[in-house]
Amino acid sequence: MKILIIEDEKELAQNMADYLSAENYLCEFAATYAQAIEKINLYQYDCILLDLMLPGGNGLQVLQLLKEKNRQEGVIIISAKNALDDKVSGLKSGADDYLAKPFHLPELSARIYSLIRRKQFNSTNSIEQNELQIDILAKTVKVKDETVNLTRKEFELLLFFIGNKNRVVSKSALAEYLSGDIADMLDNHDFIYAHIKNLKKKLSDAGCGNYLKTLYGTGYKWEI
Amino acid sequence: MNKLLNKPLKAFTMYALLILALSIPVYYWVIDSIWLNEIDVHNQTIEGRIKDGFKNIPLTENEITHVINVWSQIQPGVKISAVSVSNIRKDSVYETIRPNTYANETYERFRGRSTYFYIHNKPYHLSVETNVEETHETVIAIATVTAVFFVLLLLGFVLLNRKIAQQIWQPFRNTLNQLKIFDLNSQKPIKLDPTTIEEFEELNEVLRKLIANNIDVYNQQKQFTENASHELQTPLALLKSKIDLLLQDKTLSKTQLESITALNIPLSRVSRINKNLLLLAKIENHQYPNEETIDLNQILNENIDILSDYASTGEISIDNGIKEPVMVKANRHLIEIMLTNLLVNGIRHNLRNGILAIDYQASTLMFSNSGTSPLNEDTLFKRFVSASTQSPNSGLGLAIVKEICHLYGWKVSYRFEKNFHHFSVSFS
Repeated sequence: MKILIIEDEKELAQNMADYLSAENYLCEFAATYAQAIEKINLYQYDCILLDLMLPGGNGLQVLQLLKEKNRQEGVIIISAKNALDDKVSGLKSGADDYLAKPFHLPELSARIYSLIRRKQFNSTNSIEQNELQIDILAKTVKVKDETVNLTRKEFELLLFFIGNKNRVVSKSALAEYLSGDIADMLDNHDFIYAHIKNLKKKLSDAGCGNYLKTLYGTGYKWEI
Repeated sequence: MNKLLNKPLKAFTMYALLILALSIPVYYWVIDSIWLNEIDVHNQTIEGRIKDGFKNIPLTENEITHVINVWSQIQPGVKISAVSVSNIRKDSVYETIRPNTYANETYERFRGRSTYFYIHNKPYHLSVETNVEETHETVIAIATVTAVFFVLLLLGFVLLNRKIAQQIWQPFRNTLNQLKIFDLNSQKPIKLDPTTIEEFEELNEVLRKLIANNIDVYNQQKQFTENASHELQTPLALLKSKIDLLLQDKTLSKTQLESITALNIPLSRVSRINKNLLLLAKIENHQYPNEETIDLNQILNENIDILSDYASTGEISIDNGIKEPVMVKANRHLIEIMLTNLLVNGIRHNLRNGILAIDYQASTLMFSNSGTSPLNEDTLFKRFVSASTQSPNSGLGLAIVKEICHLYGWKVSYRFEKNFHHFSVSFS
């Protein structure tokens, strides 16, 4: 999988690339508008991460170019300007998702994962991992062909873990994923425990292997 | 408080009173002097005529005595009497007050002239007296006239003062009214009408400059908040991603990892404060123009759903008593923020096993949550002032609620009753 990170903050771009490398994504960088245009004209990508404020031009112009060329890449806007107008005009101009800075890397990883799945399998896809079967569209989970009844939030957590497999995910990243913008208004993220506990119990009751590891004081890890 | 123009009016009145009071004795003295001078001349003339008359008309001694007797009978103002040589004195002028039998007044003042002369070498005393106005009558007359003039002056002062206050001060009042309606937040510079009075024009000029300056500073400050918040987003993103990345490092010890994870908490607080500051700046800048009619209850239920896990960790039950849609016209994003802030506030500052009840009655949305003691109402809606000592927070949640309410002309209020904190937003 090839990802183009269009971001002028090199350190941040590198952090994203480092985190995503565990998923075997190959990341390329563009730090300016001109570089972004050049890369897009030369290569094809599976996903493009786009910062709207670029030296030499606006990120929305990049979107315009992709649209004109009828390109199929999924685009996630990453913007420091958490302005609603930007989000709306970005999504209208053909972006698939919008992530406001600052964000957790697992959040980014989960969104890329889901975006690529959507694009590749034309919105009808299921994930299989050993005895576990997840139908993303129908939102159902099966273990050894037996349906496991998960709540909406448990299902979303499972997808999040799959999108961040073999990496440590902090409680704070999980809380932000479940509550969105509200998460940083809350004084504790303990409500995550209950969902994780239930998810673990339901999966193990159904005979699923113990993939979800708790790292005390740190977070959780989906190991495979 | 005194009106500006009443101050000189008072001083003018006092001065006029003083001068007019002083003028009474002066007038009296002047009039009396002229009067007496005139009477003295008059008396002297009569005296001269009498003396000449006796000199020119040849009369015997007996005839003279007889004439003098008759004279004394019918001409009371003039007295002629024979005197001995030893009684002759120098001519003199005198004043006397005695009863006047020929007028109604009992006592009158007389101005007299006393002189001695010879007829046929025999000395005679001649006195001529003329009635003069009494002192007190003159003084009373002058005082009365003066008092009338004083009243006229006072009336004139008051009327002129009123006229001046209305006309001359009109530009000043215009300026004052403009200043009263000026709102720094609205960014509209005030329009001060030009005036022909130099002082007021100078004042207006200074005010124009001052206001333009203020608007500039205010804009810069707002711009600064917005820019600073934007600039902070990238380093915050960098920090956050670095923490996520560090957690993947297998060479780090468990304690090190725990310390790194703990960084997420202050980091999320910083990013929330930053977001809120940006939000406040944007609300103040009127950057949320898109208004639509939205169902408050629907947004409320969506947010309750998101926050239900958080509430359940504190075993707090949320009870939304609103059954019907509640339509309001506002920006959707701002309504979401307002409701979320009120919900989080109600859950966060609640008791264990407490209740958060929401109700809508008479155009008022009410959030009631369990509590033990009233919060400080004065600081509750202020920025960065936490009204509670129970838990630290960014102190901006309620300030944002207040700012949103202010934007739409709604009223947010707080009261504590029967162990419940009541926060209400009145839409009417």
